[in-house]
Amino acid sequence: MTKIDPDIRIPDPIELDRIEEQRLRSVAGLTPAQAIAGGEYAGFDQVGIPDRPPQTEREREVYTLDEGEMLINMGPQHPSTHGVMRLVVKVRGEVVVDIDPVLGYLHRGIEKLCENATYTTVLTYVDPMDYLSTMHNEHAPAIAFEKLYGIRAPKRAEYIRALVVELNRVFSHGLMMGFLALDMGGLTPILYSFINRDEIVDMLSAISGQRMLFNFFRVGGVNWDTNDEFLSRLGTWRSHVMKNIEMNEWMITDNEIFRARTINMGTLSGKQAIDLGVTGPNLRASGVPFDVRKAHPYSIYNELEFDVITQESGDSYARYLQRIAEIKQSINLIDQIVDKMPHGPVQAQVPGIIRPKPGRAYGAVESPRGLYSVYAISDGGPTPYRFRMRDPSFITLQAMPVLMPGRLVADTMAIMASLDPVMGGVDK
Amino acid sequence: MPSDGNGPIIIPDAAQGDELLQQFGMEEHPQGGFHGLLEVIPTKADYVLDLIRANSLWPLLSGLSCCAIEMMSTATSVNDIDRFGMFPFRASPRQADVLIVAGTLTTKMAGPLVRLWEQMPEPKWCVAMGTCTTSGGRFKRSYSVVQGVDRVMPVDVYVPGCPPRPEGLIYGMMKLHELVKQRRGEWRTYVDRGPQRTRWEGDVR
Amino acid sequence: MAHLRRSRPAADALGRRRSLSAPAAAGSLVRILTERLGNDLHDLWTDEDTVEFQIDGSRNVDVLRTLRDDPDLDFFMLADEAAVDYGPGAHFEVVYHLYSDKHPAWVRVRARVDRSDPRIPTITNLWKGAEFHEREAYDMMGIIFEGNRDLRRIYMSPDYRSFPQRKDFVLPDDAADSAAAGVNPLERPETWDLSRFRDAPAVTFPPSSERPDAPAEGAEGGETLADKSRPR
Repeated sequence: MTKIDPDIRIPDPIELDRIEEQRLRSVAGLTPAQAIAGGEYAGFDQVGIPDRPPQTEREREVYTLDEGEMLINMGPQHPSTHGVMRLVVKVRGEVVVDIDPVLGYLHRGIEKLCENATYTTVLTYVDPMDYLSTMHNEHAPAIAFEKLYGIRAPKRAEYIRALVVELNRVFSHGLMMGFLALDMGGLTPILYSFINRDEIVDMLSAISGQRMLFNFFRVGGVNWDTNDEFLSRLGTWRSHVMKNIEMNEWMITDNEIFRARTINMGTLSGKQAIDLGVTGPNLRASGVPFDVRKAHPYSIYNELEFDVITQESGDSYARYLQRIAEIKQSINLIDQIVDKMPHGPVQAQVPGIIRPKPGRAYGAVESPRGLYSVYAISDGGPTPYRFRMRDPSFITLQAMPVLMPGRLVADTMAIMASLDPVMGGVDK
Repeated sequence: MPSDGNGPIIIPDAAQGDELLQQFGMEEHPQGGFHGLLEVIPTKADYVLDLIRANSLWPLLSGLSCCAIEMMSTATSVNDIDRFGMFPFRASPRQADVLIVAGTLTTKMAGPLVRLWEQMPEPKWCVAMGTCTTSGGRFKRSYSVVQGVDRVMPVDVYVPGCPPRPEGLIYGMMKLHELVKQRRGEWRTYVDRGPQRTRWEGDVR
Repeated sequence: MAHLRRSRPAADALGRRRSLSAPAAAGSLVRILTERLGNDLHDLWTDEDTVEFQIDGSRNVDVLRTLRDDPDLDFFMLADEAAVDYGPGAHFEVVYHLYSDKHPAWVRVRARVDRSDPRIPTITNLWKGAEFHEREAYDMMGIIFEGNRDLRRIYMSPDYRSFPQRKDFVLPDDAADSAAAGVNPLERPETWDLSRFRDAPAVTFPPSSERPDAPAEGAEGGETLADKSRPR
């Protein structure tokens, strides 16, 4: 069983459950429950459980049942697993004892494909990685390839990059509010989130030509300059952007059910979060002021004025509040970017097929889900020798086996939605 | 015998029933049941029922990847697919008519997806949304991607695009309406809809 | 793509040697690193925002613990753990990227792993979050992290046999005789289980040639969709 930190969860529901079971047994005149020495390996006739001996220590631990425990299989088709994720949940009664995320149902081998594609084509392959933050997916490889190739994007291109990236962050965080409410049974907030999202993707399709997988970044710049349609849509959107978000806030933030199911749920301390590799808003909600935009300023973020927002409690509610605060921060950043945007070219002179000198480069950006980084190795050829992506939601999922023991099954999805993983990024 | 229309309907006993059916040209089939002129009734019923089915298609809430977001966008208020009687995205395959395969199908997911398809009751339709599901799309060369969902299940409508715009999906669903109306009374069971597999190498049991 | 490809240079040509022209900010970091790590440090070089060095694979836990726990270094966050294959006949590398708020540079630690016996100690006892990174590296490259409690395949299914991100695994379009040939089970119809269709009852629709109302050309050209969709 995963170790439970006594400071965080008092009283321990599993312990209460065990005490209650013993009480009922004593009332019924039965002997107290004996813990079976090795337990019983539940590998055989349960659906979805591997019918082979365990391969690792941890697998044996999850799939071995003590008395009164059973396994529940959630996914890969489940209405609220945010895609095709599968969770094997070990429960005692209604209390989760352990949880095992089974990944790979969306593994498309993007890294391998990128190693077989030219540097320009890589920027199209990475689009469907984390499909709610497409602009960020392209930003990190663009930074890494520019380091490899030894060029810099023009100033105006950097401003346009920052603009579209912040727009992307607004709708991604907005959708998180909606999905979080949806996984607790509230249908309406997702409708407002999608109105906001559709408005932004239409705006971004006016500048990039694609509605969802934008393919807007190039090595050494961006594909297009701003145009009239984009700017007029941006102005219209800016004039009423807060309406949908405030509507959602008004519906969710003080909702009694929402508060009961998020406050003190899934509490992650800052130390734990760093240990688990959790980054982004989830880490900042635990009080650690780590933001790649401040830690290693890329693009033009050292020219903009903003502070790293943090929350204190580190529970699901804090993660939700953190998203709202970052939406407002991003809108503020968009205002600054539009004010300061210089004139000039948007694309450096780069040949169609670039062959950087042999070397290594690391490009990291702050995606809506955390530290998204690319480690690229060039061997002088037209394709990257090694192209490695570190996706934040993949790493964040490791928090699930730590957060869930002691909670109810119904809270599994609520806590997972507050971590906001996107399976396209998790499985690559 | 049935009454003359004023009194209660009298249900005939078995022997009388046989006589009655013979009047309508029905015979007992050696493998059970009856066949004959009255057989026209079930086919005509399907002819009517498919018209109803066509205008109230319930899709399965099953998104695989990027296209799922556009599918959800199609269902929400801006591109309201409720206009076509398609709002209730059912979470259970047993309540759904249409499987919209939205997103890249990997070899690991192919087994579960075929199982979902088999759990859906007949009549059922499949819409392949996006280039990944029609041909593998940009991941066609990958080692873990099924190169088109029609390799594992029959597909009725293909919607190209990466991902298709919501308007594209709505147009595809309108094409599906046409298809259902065109084929009405003639839908077939899964047996003759092409090859399907039950066991996958990448399938975890 | 064929016209773009050219032969890969030898693996040792990949390590770019750049003279150690450290930026002013990274200078103090380089000095501390040389003091604290001493003999473990090989091939130190700096980039505009990176300080990189190579270590021996078996020393990774000690070096990373020093980097994490030394108060002057304080690289408390594991940003990335990547695995790199330098091809058959060469070696693997496990590459750690670390972040510290005291230094304005990422630290990149490249730990060398033998390719014939790819084993390296795990660092999950330093950062529990390295577990998924290591599972991924095991799945994609076949590197065994000794001491990791959960070293299973994470992306591919448990019965998968290849390691797709190794350089000798070539995508099917590139080479038919690679380790990847026939790797997609869907491409092999002989593995399909068609017994259900053999045993299934007869097709409910007779071919149009046997239907009284079938058009004459239907008998010659076989059954078409238009035939089937025509209401009787």
